[in-house]
Amino acid sequence: MMNKTGLIALLLLGFAGLYPLFVDSAWLAVGTTFLVFACVAFSQDIILGRAGVFHMGHAMFFGLGAYTTAILNVQFGWAILATWIPSVVIPMACAFALVAPIIHLRGDYLLVATIGFNIIFIQILENDVFGLTGGPNGLFGIDVVHVFGYDFSSQIHMYYMAFILLGITLFIMRSLDRSKFGRAMFYIHKDDIAAQSMGISLRYYKLYAFILGAGIAGAAGSMFSVQYSAVSPEAFNVTQSIMFFTIVLVGGSASLPGVLIGTFVMFVLPEVFREFETARYLVFGVAMILTMILRPRGIWPVKFGNIPSFLKKGAK
Amino acid sequence: MHNMLLEVKDLHVNYGAIAAIKGIDLNVARGEVVTILGANGAGKTTTLRTISGLLKAASGSIVFEGRELSKLQAHEIVALGMSHSPEGRRVFSTLSVEENLMMGAYTLKKYDQATLDWIYEILPRLKERRKQLAGTLSGGEQQMLAIGRAIMSKPKLLILDEPSLGLAPVLVKVIFKAIKAIAKSGVTVLLVEQNAKAALKLADRGYVLELGKITHTGSSEELLNSEVIQEAYLGKKK
Repeated sequence: MMNKTGLIALLLLGFAGLYPLFVDSAWLAVGTTFLVFACVAFSQDIILGRAGVFHMGHAMFFGLGAYTTAILNVQFGWAILATWIPSVVIPMACAFALVAPIIHLRGDYLLVATIGFNIIFIQILENDVFGLTGGPNGLFGIDVVHVFGYDFSSQIHMYYMAFILLGITLFIMRSLDRSKFGRAMFYIHKDDIAAQSMGISLRYYKLYAFILGAGIAGAAGSMFSVQYSAVSPEAFNVTQSIMFFTIVLVGGSASLPGVLIGTFVMFVLPEVFREFETARYLVFGVAMILTMILRPRGIWPVKFGNIPSFLKKGAK
Repeated sequence: MHNMLLEVKDLHVNYGAIAAIKGIDLNVARGEVVTILGANGAGKTTTLRTISGLLKAASGSIVFEGRELSKLQAHEIVALGMSHSPEGRRVFSTLSVEENLMMGAYTLKKYDQATLDWIYEILPRLKERRKQLAGTLSGGEQQMLAIGRAIMSKPKLLILDEPSLGLAPVLVKVIFKAIKAIAKSGVTVLLVEQNAKAALKLADRGYVLELGKITHTGSSEELLNSEVIQEAYLGKKK
């Protein structure tokens, strides 16, 4: 029954599950951050790759989640566990409030507006609004997760928490592929006029994509802040947003393996070539350009499957 | 009085500062086939898109079955029973023919097998190709698919934008035959065409649109026999 893709997925899963046993702490941290960034990249993919909305401010939602956990824990003394729900809900609420008024903008216009949001977000963080964000230095000393007197404080714990988070994210992405929402986004992406004339609301589904994406990015942000026990504004600036945007396009829009490969290429490879210092980014820029020329649909482009079975239920 | 399915009154549509539609009135009665004729840039597509909510009117009213549409979104209008097959076909090329058709029933809880069978009956070419990807169809077959997809939502009013655009004459015949069958089944049809002769042969009534205004209207017979129309749209020399 197992096909080739399934086998590759299983091997990858096995590798990812056992990875912490074979590496030192520096590489373990890289692995954890890879898992977190992959979650963010998937959430960017919901908006960019599936709904087809040019959104270049995703680091803001990632940062909102991270800062929600950091502020509630450091400034107000909440347990990390208790900050999880707000770190998902607050980015979602912000996505709704900020994006709803501009969702009718098209392509490049919307892209510029989302960059604007990201810039304002960084300004708010750096200027220490209400004395909560810690200014340009950010916040330090974020706690670890405690459950029933047990501390999940080691790097290995961090890795497996991120691993579970990515598992949940992948489950959401898979469900999306098979749901009415996912199909509606696909139709909008392919041809918005045709989608509208079929009775699909552009506004509703594009906002849905943003809100879902912001929620996942917020959860990943919370994980990120706990892993490094610190947050600072530069981790969530426009450059980071560009990275998430690029991951999706280089890897392959709306493709699960594509987004994972994109995250690997854009984040892990630079770590592998750390000894070349900044020269590695030159290679990197060239690699991005080459990918777009040689494989314009990404390294692992998506293949669209069949219409979901529930839509076929009327058929005999 | 309410045998009118669609009533458009004093409709104005602007693109920025440019007035594209300058106050038109038109109505479509239940069961009728009505065509809008006009040259390129006359505002035919703009009119249709405004009726189906893809564009917003600057002023005027659009009433469908007694309900004002100008404040509604395109997707809500589809759910009321108006289906628009847009210009340029716009089928989903990475889906199969049958999947495209099923997609047309998006506003229904599930698609209707009888409607699907009926579409295959009036457009048998689609049945032959039903497992094929829509992107691999010829232009004429894609147009058949676009029409079929539009009737999968079981509309009361079917809006067709230039179904004969860029098609070989033999395929135009097939398309018009299918539209005739659709109209005969009780679906009201509003048709925009540059192929004036074919459209008038099929339609009960017609409107002629020039630079955003309706210049002529009448039964198809009147329009076919009118000197002005013959010169401007039917290619008859003075």
